[in-house]
Formats: sequence, C-alpha cells, structure tokens
Amino acid sequence: MSRSLDTVQQWFQAVVTHPDGVEGGVESDEAQALIRLPRGELEAVIRRSRNLTAAERIGIYANAYYARLLECVGECFPMLKAALGEEVFSGFAFDYLQRYPSRSYTLDRLGENFARFLDETRPGSEDGGPPPGEVGWPDFLIDLASLEWVLAKVFDGPGTEGQTLLTPEALQAFPAERFAEARLHPVPCLRLLATRYPVNAYFTAVRKAEEEGEEAPIPDPAPEYTAITRREFIVRRYSISLPQHALLAALQSGATVAAAIEAAAAVSDLDDDALAAELRSWFHLFTAEGFFQAIE
Amino acid sequence: MRPPRLGHDNLGLGVGLRSVHFEHILTHQPAVDWFEIISENYIDSQGRPRYVLQQIAERYPVVMHGVSLSIGSTDPLDFEYLGKLKRLAKEVKAQWISDHICWTGVLGRNTHDLLPVPFTEQTLRHVVERVRTLQDFLERPFVLENPSSYVTFQDSTLDEWEFVTRMAEEADCGLLLDVNNVYVSSFNHDMDPDRFIRSLPHERIVQFHLAGHSNYTTHLIDTHDNHVIDPVWELYRTAHELTGGVSTLLEWDANIPPFPVVHDEVLKAKQFMGKHLPAIPQPVASEASPELVMAGTPEMVGSSVPHPLHHIQPEVE
Repeated sequence: MSRSLDTVQQWFQAVVTHPDGVEGGVESDEAQALIRLPRGELEAVIRRSRNLTAAERIGIYANAYYARLLECVGECFPMLKAALGEEVFSGFAFDYLQRYPSRSYTLDRLGENFARFLDETRPGSEDGGPPPGEVGWPDFLIDLASLEWVLAKVFDGPGTEGQTLLTPEALQAFPAERFAEARLHPVPCLRLLATRYPVNAYFTAVRKAEEEGEEAPIPDPAPEYTAITRREFIVRRYSISLPQHALLAALQSGATVAAAIEAAAAVSDLDDDALAAELRSWFHLFTAEGFFQAIE
Repeated sequence: MRPPRLGHDNLGLGVGLRSVHFEHILTHQPAVDWFEIISENYIDSQGRPRYVLQQIAERYPVVMHGVSLSIGSTDPLDFEYLGKLKRLAKEVKAQWISDHICWTGVLGRNTHDLLPVPFTEQTLRHVVERVRTLQDFLERPFVLENPSSYVTFQDSTLDEWEFVTRMAEEADCGLLLDVNNVYVSSFNHDMDPDRFIRSLPHERIVQFHLAGHSNYTTHLIDTHDNHVIDPVWELYRTAHELTGGVSTLLEWDANIPPFPVVHDEVLKAKQFMGKHLPAIPQPVASEASPELVMAGTPEMVGSSVPHPLHHIQPEVE
C-alpha cells in the first residue's frame, strides 16, 4: 500500500528543508508525524542506488536547497554580503530562510523580508548591539539591505520608458496662481529612503574602491536621504536633503504643492525667502531629472 | 496516426536566453534559430529584461520554459501565475509553454527546486488531471520535460519512461525530452538511458534539451555549467533518429561563457542529425568568430547546485 502523494511531498519537504540536514529532518517531529521512520530506516521510503545510500541521495536535495537559496539571497544583497563577508552573511541568510521561506513562484521576491528580518532579530546591547534607542551596526545592515532591495525593485518594477514626462518648460508654463493647490504626480519608479547610516554614499564608495582594488570603510552613522528612480532602464540615485525628502514624500502621498512645501519648511533651517529660492531650484531639478509624470 | 512533433514546427537549433548575453544579442543579432526563456524571469518584469525580450521576440521565435508550475504538487494550481504565463505567451507569441514533471513545494512553500514525484498510479492520475486543466486554461501548446533526479521512491510502481508515456497519452500533451536529464537520471538510478529514450512516444516529443552536467563519480548533478558530453550527444543521435528531428535547445546556466561559445555548442548537434537535417531559416546576421572568445570557456569544475538559478542583477548608476 503506497503512501498518499501529499504525505510523501510534505515529508520530503520537511526533510530537505530542515536546518539540521537530512538526519535532523527525518527525525523531526514534523517528518515523523507524516511518516514514522525508526533511525536508519530511510530506505523504507527512498531507494538506495548502486553507489549511494538513501540518505546520501536525499541529501543532494537538502544540500542544494540551502546552497541555492543562500546564493540567491546573496545575489539580492551583493554589497551587504561583501560588507559582512561570506560566512557572516550566510549565517544571517540561513536564519532568514527559516523564518521567511519562499512562498512565491519567483525568486525575485526571495529577499523582500530580509531588511525586516534583520530588524526583527537585531541584537540587544547584551548581545553586542547598541543600547536601546541608539543607532548602531545593526542599523547599518538594515539600511544597506533596504537600499539594495529598493534598487532591485526600481530596476525591474514599473517605469516610464517611452512615456512623456513633465518637463521643466511645462512646469514653468503652469499657471502660477494654480501652483499652490496643484498636485505633482511622481513617476511610479520614484522611491525615497531615509536611513540612519549613509548607505547610498557607501554604495558609491564601494564601487569606486572596487575599481581601485581597495575596500571602502564602513561609515559612521549619519542620517541620509536618497531619491531613487529609473530612466532608460538604468536605476539612478540622488542624494537629497531632509527638506527635499519631506517635500517629495508629501508629493508622493498626494499632497498639494502648498502642503508639500509646508512639510519641507517644517524640517528646514532656512528662512522663508531662502527656502523659497531653494524650492524653485528643487522643483526645476527634480522635474529635469524626470521625477514627475504630470502636474494638475 | 499523430504527426511528428504533434504537428509543431521544428524550430531548429536554439539557445536559452540569459541576461549576460542581452547586449551581445541586441548588438550582433546572432544567427541563432530561436530562443527559450525562463518564464519566471519575465512574467513580472516591467524593466529592462521585459524590454529586451520584446525586442528579441520581434526577431526570433520564442518558447517559454518555466520552473515554478509545480504540476506534481498536491497544492492547488496557482491561477494567478498561470494567468501571467498566458499573458506573456500572447505578448511574445510563444510557440509553446513548457515546464517539468516535478513539484517545487507544498503547503504554500517553494523550494525552487525540481523535486521528484513517486511514479505511481495515484501520481499519474493527479498529474494528468492537472495537465488537462492547465491546457484548457493556457489555450496554447503545452509540453512537459523529464527532470534530472537524484532519488527514487520505494512507492514507485512504474518506470519513469512508462510514467512519462502514459502521462503524455492520457493528458494529450507534448514532451520536452531533456537528453542530458535522461543521462543524469539513468546514471543516478542505475537505468539504461537508451531504453528510456526508445520507450517514449516519439511523435509526442516536441523539443529536446541539451546541457552539461557535473560528474561526482558516484552520481551526476544537472548543473548546466559545461559542454555537452559525448555520451549525451550519442543519446541525442538516437533521439533525433527516433523522432525525425525536433526543436533543439542548449541550456547553460552557470559559468556562462560568451554567447558564441554557447551557440557553437548547440550547432554541434548538426553532427548527430544524420539524414534528418531540419529546414533551418536563413541566418539573421553573421556573428563574431567563436575563436575570438574561446578564452572565456568556463572551468571544468562544476557547481554542486542543480537547476538554473535565475536572478538578473540590477543596472544602477
């Protein structure tokens, strides 16, 4: 009498994805609840071959599961992997795959919870992390993972290639009396990041260092604001200020230009006249860089 | 009597489309007969990969090859995924859609591996019913491939070729015969690869796959990281003779060499075709001499991870 297909599949999955390998997998409660196997009796389910035992054969799948997915997580976060080193990164990724196993048909979503996982598992001060409320090295990892994930999403997500965007000339021609109550519609690929470590600057520094055969130092914490978008299928990164971030974030949330300016003013050190002058150049710059699809 | 290849075209000698070759293909428009894509790399893409695919599909026949259908899984079919496959197939005018006789996960999980099924009457009924359902849904030719495998189950009551044959007949679908997979699985399971190939319903074979693998002495792993070995070419000769010739595709997924090396590899198939040379369309354009790029031939050491990884690195300024 053969076992049901769903039992075999659930058992097989429990065994090959078990973090302790085949032996741990076969002996796990989950696997034993599906197919009760005394130690050493794996061949009751899996046949041996001329050259390999049943355990060695199913071990090929178990080894491949983690090898493949660790490689994929590493490909999603190459700079974080390089910063941490292969071994440390793989340790994080291995734990991540336990907590967030893939539930999607595509590997493109494999890393979507990695930054969240790093945050959820950030060490307390007793485990080498910073004191509560202070910024420390775990934030660097989280921020860098967030940046790399956003870059990947912007690269393959919705873009504006082939579409007409708002031009500085069209912005200039927009009736001044309607500007305050107008809404600027950001392009769908525009993403904003506010990080505790300057990870965008680090990204640039790593690339430069790689060209010169050197290593970029891990930066000290410092707030950083970044706008990321895509033109002609290439991801573009812009270092922006806190008021610029506030302005763009407000526009992205659907606020009017006046409300967005208020949001920028609330976090700006400039007086009203100086800010007004800056705002003109910001709107021109962001429009010229293709941040906006339209104004209405 | 059924026509050869179930009546589908023999597209000639094709190459698996990989992102490292995008620039070469767009720039040189190589005289390759057709391309096969990994469906999951494109069904969600709204960026450069999809854009490149659109351009390639305008110039070359395209076949869609998936790795996440999980036709053998006891989880329900994912109709959101199937809907995306169907839309992309329409967009790129896919000649047919293929995937593997396997499962990739259960209980909502995806191991991203091509896991083996026990060859039983129960599995056969399950797979046949699902193939029928998805063929009705896809409204496009569908073919299933024999995967490489590393275990066999005590519960199996059918030989793999018997399972494959009955599945194809009862579900009325086509077959993608991966000649390298026959060799790998036959070595791993102490089977006769020649018997495997001779036992299949040859008129249902719509496509061949060829690839390299890694030899670990006690077992073989389907790593797609090297040249096709001679015994696999000999099996290809047999398969070609038995089918009268079908669309042939080379997969190279790790340590990927420059495009002309990959293309040259599939062109070797001509040496094994005997009298059944396909009527291949005229070249689109000539390409660079492969001698110029042979320095890029990969190392002979294989990766131990089977199955194509498919991650496209973002382009960031």
